[in-house]
Amino acid sequence: MAIDIPTRTDQLPTSATRFIGKAVNRIEDPALVSGTVEFIDNLSLPGMLHCAILRSPHPHARITGIDVSAALALPGVEAVLTGEDVERWCDPCFTAPEGWGNYCLAVGKVRFVGEPVVAVAATSRYIAEDALELVQVEYDLLDPVCNPDEAMAPGAPLVFENRATNVIQSRTYTWGEVDRVFAEADRIVSRQFRWNRVGANPTETFGCICQWDLADNSLTCRGAYQTPRFMGIGRAASLRLPANKVKIISHAQGGGFGGKGGPRGTDIAALLSRKTDGRPVKYIEDRMEYLLAGGGQSWDRYYDAAIALKADGTVTGFKVRLVDDQGAGAEGYGTISAAKPLAAFTGNYRIEAAFYDLTLVATNRAPTYPYRGYGPPPHNLVLESLMDVAARELALDPAELRRRNYIGPEQFPYTVPSGNEYDSGNYAGVLDRVLELADYKSLRQSQAKARTEGRLVGIGVVSTVEPGVFDWNAYATVGVPGVGVPEGVKVGIDVFGGVTVAVGFNLQGQGQFTVAAQVVADYLGVEMNTVKVTTASTDVALPHFGQGGSRLGVAVTGAILGACEKLRGIFCRVVAHVMQTDPEQIELLNGRLQMKGAPAHGMSIAEVAGLMLSRSDLLPPGVEPCPEASFVWVSPNRNLPDDQGRCRSYLTAAAATHVVQVEIDRDTGQVAILGYYIVDDCGTRLNPASVEGQLQGGVAQGVGAALYEEYVYDAQCQPLVSTFVDYLVPSIHEVPMTVKDHLVTPSPIAPLGAKGCGEGAIHTTPAALLCAINDALAPLGLECRETPASPRRLWQLLHDKA
Amino acid sequence: MKPAAFEYHAPTTLAEAVGLLARLEDEGCDAKILAGGQSLMPMLAMRVARPDALVDLGRVPGLAGIRLHDGHIAIGAMASKRAAELSELVRDKQPLFHAATRLVGHQQIRNRGSVGGSFAHADPASEYPAVALVLDMEMVATGPDGERVIPAAEFFVTYMTTALEPGEILTELRMPVLPARAGWAIREVSRRSGDLALAGVALTLRLDAGRCTDVRIAAFGVGATAIRLTAAEDALNGAAPSADRFARAGAIAAASLAEPMSCIHATADYRRHLVRTLLERSLADAAARAG
Repeated sequence: MAIDIPTRTDQLPTSATRFIGKAVNRIEDPALVSGTVEFIDNLSLPGMLHCAILRSPHPHARITGIDVSAALALPGVEAVLTGEDVERWCDPCFTAPEGWGNYCLAVGKVRFVGEPVVAVAATSRYIAEDALELVQVEYDLLDPVCNPDEAMAPGAPLVFENRATNVIQSRTYTWGEVDRVFAEADRIVSRQFRWNRVGANPTETFGCICQWDLADNSLTCRGAYQTPRFMGIGRAASLRLPANKVKIISHAQGGGFGGKGGPRGTDIAALLSRKTDGRPVKYIEDRMEYLLAGGGQSWDRYYDAAIALKADGTVTGFKVRLVDDQGAGAEGYGTISAAKPLAAFTGNYRIEAAFYDLTLVATNRAPTYPYRGYGPPPHNLVLESLMDVAARELALDPAELRRRNYIGPEQFPYTVPSGNEYDSGNYAGVLDRVLELADYKSLRQSQAKARTEGRLVGIGVVSTVEPGVFDWNAYATVGVPGVGVPEGVKVGIDVFGGVTVAVGFNLQGQGQFTVAAQVVADYLGVEMNTVKVTTASTDVALPHFGQGGSRLGVAVTGAILGACEKLRGIFCRVVAHVMQTDPEQIELLNGRLQMKGAPAHGMSIAEVAGLMLSRSDLLPPGVEPCPEASFVWVSPNRNLPDDQGRCRSYLTAAAATHVVQVEIDRDTGQVAILGYYIVDDCGTRLNPASVEGQLQGGVAQGVGAALYEEYVYDAQCQPLVSTFVDYLVPSIHEVPMTVKDHLVTPSPIAPLGAKGCGEGAIHTTPAALLCAINDALAPLGLECRETPASPRRLWQLLHDKA
Repeated sequence: MKPAAFEYHAPTTLAEAVGLLARLEDEGCDAKILAGGQSLMPMLAMRVARPDALVDLGRVPGLAGIRLHDGHIAIGAMASKRAAELSELVRDKQPLFHAATRLVGHQQIRNRGSVGGSFAHADPASEYPAVALVLDMEMVATGPDGERVIPAAEFFVTYMTTALEPGEILTELRMPVLPARAGWAIREVSRRSGDLALAGVALTLRLDAGRCTDVRIAAFGVGATAIRLTAAEDALNGAAPSADRFARAGAIAAASLAEPMSCIHATADYRRHLVRTLLERSLADAAARAG
């Protein structure tokens, strides 16, 4: 029987929601603030060993010899792992596209600085690190390929010699009559942009404890795992185990943002456990390892882009040529970052035709990984910067130019040229509200006054769409198979009426346990504090994915509603049987199963559950004594892409417009953020406090990308950033507390009308800040088209002009 | 990121600490003094520093006082930066030192980090060495032969190197109180709040009958040590304070710098320009305070 998932809160079996839509306190927080959450490094197992990893100091070199004898002789060292073991026991990790993966330890050659070469298991991490100093590795240096130009030059050294090229993928997409709209354009605005490599930096780096059961030939991995089932399948493939012999126990994580990585560390710890006859092996990635070559590097991009406009400011076409430096292969799924922009290629605008020329290149930089937003933030920066240039050339206010091009509220569902369908939106309404919130007119007046004083003050007004609830089909163009990302939960009620929700993911910071408790409590009419949310390990969990692609709040809501709908069906049958009536005569309302029209006749949820578990004699035929139900939710109505990558991929389309005012100090190049205003619309806000937290966090990372953060490599491909002294994550002093408001345009198709919002402001903030900076520079005829817009870069621009 | 093995010593008197250092030196043992650990501990963890032994001063009493003594402020080397920041004596009598302290790291770092540790560490991008030159501070070192007073101009030798001998412990920092009608300023450009400066300027001056006198300026973050900007001082002493004069002093200072270092955050030219700008702005600050 098909289960209908409510898309509106008024469809819930309650006269008024008590938790959904309220900024309730997060159920995760007491344990977090009191320090009782078991993060992986807090855990020790009997007999546990500690792993340390020797990493390549060279970007590209052949390994001609490894001598581990002195390390093995050090007291406390139990095993040393090299490429020889790995080649015997493992396969390279799978990648999309296929065949661009490395082994977990270098086999034969190293492809980037920081690539694991040798690993040691010892009785303490100190001894393990001492042992690394005793390992001798001989290298035969190879010329590195340091950037895409070098990588694509004829006769370039090959990062993967078996591939015969350094180009991982090169293809074009044409959507609509691109040549015609550019030929008929009254104005074409084109620019090049350089987005330098940035990435995720969770407070907790990756860590795991792996134990290989030699009798069962199975593996148990405990750790900071973001997507446990996906991780388990990957480990089974690389470690040549059946998937049901790999068990992943996901611990709470100190943030993720896409950078958690984990496959390499897990495989290495697992093999060390195998080599030590099954002793548990802990590997905790340290910050230097993380910054050097963990999962934290993303989006290393060279753009050449143009928009076509009519004289009235109507944007008719958008062309993007992107060369993306993926680093040494595709192990981290950095390729997806270049595919995801298809989900919202033309942003908030009615642009009839678009073109995307995509080249993904392997170099000897560290492999790239996902980062919050997973690709669109740089793409949005390009589109929004071009909109601003066009506004200047047309002498139009940038807000006005955007308004003229917005998709109208009556045009939804709206299919963008690149194929995705936006569910709903009110972009002009969002703009109106943020201009009012910011008092845009007076911001412009204060800017005009500042300019007469010779000050460089600028304003950015930037609109973006956030694709929410990812589906595999969005990534089919880079070789990711499948349609439908499952999220499964089990909702059960015990004999005393306590509700347990078993999910497949663990805490990561976004507050989804709270959302789960809110939804189940409102549906079943119980108190939130009677709800226990627990994480199932992969051996028993339902199909699930977990956090990623702005999906989990929506997905877990859908899954819980589905399970609750099933429970309601069972409960109605039980109560009808007891009351000797038809199940259709029974309704669930405010936590009671009651006779329609005679609500005094009924039972509470707890009573029904208790009855089911203790009085099998009263159950109707065919009903098991089990007040539990499971449901696996997937986005409805998804499809395979066509030959131009077009499909209904991301389920929801949230939107935001940011207004930011900045001032550049002419003499120091420093940027001060004078005011920052956000209005967003992500449909129903399941927990407004969590949404606001996600927004503010996205602003912080956007500020980092726009002004501070950069993984710098020298001309020989040596990384120059390996600590937080040089990788500049902004602190509370650098990130403005934004002034926020929101609109609610519910999704007509997503559970309870909620849209994915977890990536949020990082889609918008980098573009908003760069547009504001360029607005400030405009009177001087200068533009900054490289991120981060650091003081050195801005000063150089200003100084060269002077 | 785990330190290589080292011996750990925690003496409980200054004499014991001095004796211990002497003995370790005699044994050919490379010993490092541990104060607040805010720089040394990360260096140990990264194995950038790998001494044979650490001598922890944390249990040595009497090294953390802040007091007025013979018209000078004396700060025990083990006083935390936070203690200096919260000291009314420092705030009221030597506001330049106080302002510099507030620029060091973040509050959590100042809670743990010692004042003396920053002097002994001698990072040329840190604030204290420049302030020491401007204020003509004196460093008191205690060694096997007793106390020795080292003037700031001799204390900072080069990048992370001081005039302290291997057996000596920095025990006290002495600085004059700010004279009447004196102005002071400190400004820096760092990438983030609390980061080491890309460049910075500290200065004091007095206004006497409408003329600048006793101008003392030092720059930090632009050389192997903090640097006195004497050419700029000369251009200001005896001159009437004015925007033009301050701008000219900034230009003179920038021109007088030997090649500043370059890094991924700042080129030499950028650093040079920062000194010019920061000096110009600092002079205006100081003149206003002196006024």
